[in-house]
Amino acid sequence: MNRHDLKTIIYAEKTKEENNKYRHKICVCCGASCISSGSEEVMKKLQEEIKTRGLENEVEVVPTGCMGPCNQGPLMKFLPEYNIYQKIDCSNISAIVQSQLTEKKPIEDLLLFADSREKPFLDAQEDPFFKKQMKIALRNCGHINPERIEDYLVHNGYQALDKVLFEMSPEEVIAEIKQSRLRGRGGAGYPTGFKWETVYKYVSDQKYVICNGDEGDPGAFMDRSVLEGNPHRVLEGMAIAGYAVGASKGYAYIRGEYPLAIKRFELAIKQARKMGLLGNNILGTSFSFDIEVRIGAGAFVCGEETALIASIEGKRGTPRPRPPFPAESGLWGKPTLINNVESFAAISPIINNGGEWYSEIGTPKSAGTKVFALAGKIKYSGLIEVPMGTTLREIVFDIGGGMQNDADFKAAQTGGPSGGCIPAEHLDVKMDYESLVSLGSIMGSGGLIIMDKSSDMVDVARYFMEFCMDESCGKCVPCRVGTRMMHDLLQKICDNKGTQIDLNRLEELAVYVKETSLCGLGGSAPNPLLSTLRHFRQEYENRIVKHD
Amino acid sequence: MNTIPVIINDKKLDVDPGKTILEVCRENDIEMLTMCHLKGVMDIGACRLCLVEVEGANKLMSACTTRVNANMIVRTATDKIKRYQRITTELFFAERNHVCSVCVANGKCELQQLGYKVELDHIRYPHLFPQCEVDTSHPWYVMDHNRCIMCTRCVRVCTEVEGAHNWDVMNRGHQVRIISDFNTPWGESITCTSCGKCLHACPTGAIWPKAIVQGQLEKKPEMLSELMEKRKMKL
Amino acid sequence: MNKKKLATVWLGGCSGCHMSLLDIDERILDVAKLADIVKSPVVDGKEMPPVDIALVEGAITSDEHYREILHIRKQAKTLIAFGDCAVMTNVTGMRNYFHLKDVFDTAYRNAISNDQEGKVPDHPSLLKLNEKVVPLQEVVKVDFVIPGCPPDADAIFYVLFEFLHDRFPNLSKAKKLKYG
Repeated sequence: MNRHDLKTIIYAEKTKEENNKYRHKICVCCGASCISSGSEEVMKKLQEEIKTRGLENEVEVVPTGCMGPCNQGPLMKFLPEYNIYQKIDCSNISAIVQSQLTEKKPIEDLLLFADSREKPFLDAQEDPFFKKQMKIALRNCGHINPERIEDYLVHNGYQALDKVLFEMSPEEVIAEIKQSRLRGRGGAGYPTGFKWETVYKYVSDQKYVICNGDEGDPGAFMDRSVLEGNPHRVLEGMAIAGYAVGASKGYAYIRGEYPLAIKRFELAIKQARKMGLLGNNILGTSFSFDIEVRIGAGAFVCGEETALIASIEGKRGTPRPRPPFPAESGLWGKPTLINNVESFAAISPIINNGGEWYSEIGTPKSAGTKVFALAGKIKYSGLIEVPMGTTLREIVFDIGGGMQNDADFKAAQTGGPSGGCIPAEHLDVKMDYESLVSLGSIMGSGGLIIMDKSSDMVDVARYFMEFCMDESCGKCVPCRVGTRMMHDLLQKICDNKGTQIDLNRLEELAVYVKETSLCGLGGSAPNPLLSTLRHFRQEYENRIVKHD
Repeated sequence: MNTIPVIINDKKLDVDPGKTILEVCRENDIEMLTMCHLKGVMDIGACRLCLVEVEGANKLMSACTTRVNANMIVRTATDKIKRYQRITTELFFAERNHVCSVCVANGKCELQQLGYKVELDHIRYPHLFPQCEVDTSHPWYVMDHNRCIMCTRCVRVCTEVEGAHNWDVMNRGHQVRIISDFNTPWGESITCTSCGKCLHACPTGAIWPKAIVQGQLEKKPEMLSELMEKRKMKL
Repeated sequence: MNKKKLATVWLGGCSGCHMSLLDIDERILDVAKLADIVKSPVVDGKEMPPVDIALVEGAITSDEHYREILHIRKQAKTLIAFGDCAVMTNVTGMRNYFHLKDVFDTAYRNAISNDQEGKVPDHPSLLKLNEKVVPLQEVVKVDFVIPGCPPDADAIFYVLFEFLHDRFPNLSKAKKLKYG
């Protein structure tokens, strides 16, 4: 298929949409968490209901990706009114459809947050949960059917790919990404444009693009939601990257625990190939690019780029020392670009709207938006996307609706097992790369776990250390033995048997493991320990046995 | 051949580009501690004993895997590195069950030597005392996991020198183990050629021939390096 | 100069370290000039009096050892872990890879030499083995360690001689560090 054919399809789909074939559109969230609370059943029941009422030609029922407030699921959204219903029970569907479509007024008691707010917002977009957000990576998530490429095409899908192939040189694409000041969303925050440029500069007959979807942090589900909600966006980003760096082959490494994401991404690849958006001579140009999915086997360490590469190569997933960096010698020794799912999801909006547009969002050093997975003792947990620099307070109290049972906020853990905690006195910290580092934490991939007074910070540190101990690949000594030692010492302190000597050893080991480990897993494994020690040392002191 | 200048421990050296920091140090009599390094097989940077400070680098670099650059400023054995080497050695001892007095490698063990070099007289961390198997299924050799330090020298020698790839690694974290084939007893391995190279590669008393007792193990790891050198010359 | 008081104690070890101590041979006379050996398995004297130096062989394996080492720590100005067992549990600690019950069963119930049903001795006057053997430094503060199985007589004499002259020995510098 060439460019003209694509335009024709988009035109046809858009006309269909504009002709307003349907009066109503009902979106049912079919993200993994809503499915687990029964949204597939809801979907079936809703379709039956529409059929019984003979509304098939007026109402379109669309299964979508994640809408955001995951713990309120299953969710159902009526468009164009933007009424969202929460915790849908199959027995309510008939009443909702009756009220919404026949009587033209929503049932307020069943609307989103009706049970926790004084009065729910009829138009959910007015709710602080959504109002404070800015969706770029998640733009179409929850609006379109992730299993239909046409839905994506109508929403400007593959326009960026079209633009780069016909109007931009690889250098221009890289310049655009550099101008956007997008930084890697996997956690480390390396400027994406520079990474692309480095890979572009290496001369090789073969280069690779890898999408890192091995999201392993406990409590994090940003990548999953993006892959489930809008796989084509990621695919498009990868193809653009392939064009920019000169790669003809891409790998999407998705963890095996995300069967739905894998299914939808594979479907997206199939659809894109059929439409000529992947494969040889994309849109009739000389650019060829194809993507293969590789499924992770459940090792956290495979999120580390060199371990991930080893895993794709079919080897044991263990990291190797850098340099050489993958940009120079990556997959099968060839220059390789590795970016996170969320980074790729940000590419097409940047191309469509310009790097300058993106760079003006967020803070000067951390541009753009960041997706966070809100979890823990917070009223509304789920998936949110906010401009960089939004304060933690806004996220917790405005978007998240405050603490469960109005308990006192104690700390927020960012970056999962590689990150640290932010105590209550720093609630006004701006969520960007530098500010979090200055508090001893990291942005990480976007897991945000909110804790109240019932959380014991020593136990939190112990939990994350146990995670790192189990997930260490066992290659280098500091990480393999050091995490085990630190875990045992933390367990001892948790059991109220630790002494001051144990605490000293713990601190010594933490710095040692951080500085000497081979890869980022070991290098960041002591972070939760160090940051809880920094902000909650008293809790440790209270636990240790005092000798007279 | 063109050489490049590097500064190691404030001493200017002219060295061949393409060499690793470790090679340069060894050639210039700068003492470097290593455990996973074995001349002739690939370096993996796993033991973290050869860490050096490189000016401009934001972390410590493993000398065995880092190649020299022109005007690189390197410091070995600084106080910090010495402290870390000591902790690494302690962790080696604490991890598995190293009982020198009953070990075939007693007196000839690289781990023992390492302990003496870092002046380690006791281990401050509690020993983990894991339950490890002793595989005596091979007719001539024994694999004692109690004494294994997971340097994977045997794995690399078996793969790169002998080409058999009998050895590999399984599990994760502190539960990693060296395995024969797909975790079958060594004696039932279909890939092992019984060449005995792994015995010489092993730095401790983890792999040894059956006919010996405490302190009698003789190892010739340099034999493997020479073998690889000769092969290169032939090519 | 006042003569110092020296004690040597035998906890969970094989007494090999004490044998090695005797291997200092005639140099024992040099030690005797500087110190009285007030308690030792090789001399009379049941109580542990206050001493300047206590050489403790063996690891902590039982409740009795535990009480004893705490007492020794109180009585001794300088406590020296003497030999690999005291320093890193060594052979004594080899039972730590197993559960204590399995160790007892192997020794008393399932031993090949058992000609009838075995019984684990449990007389109240017997000491009670701890689940895990630990080195001295996990129970008390240790001032100096002499590793080795057994430590060389030279190393032992060197350490004693230095301490008796109020100097702090350094085994590494003296090139006498050895394990096993």
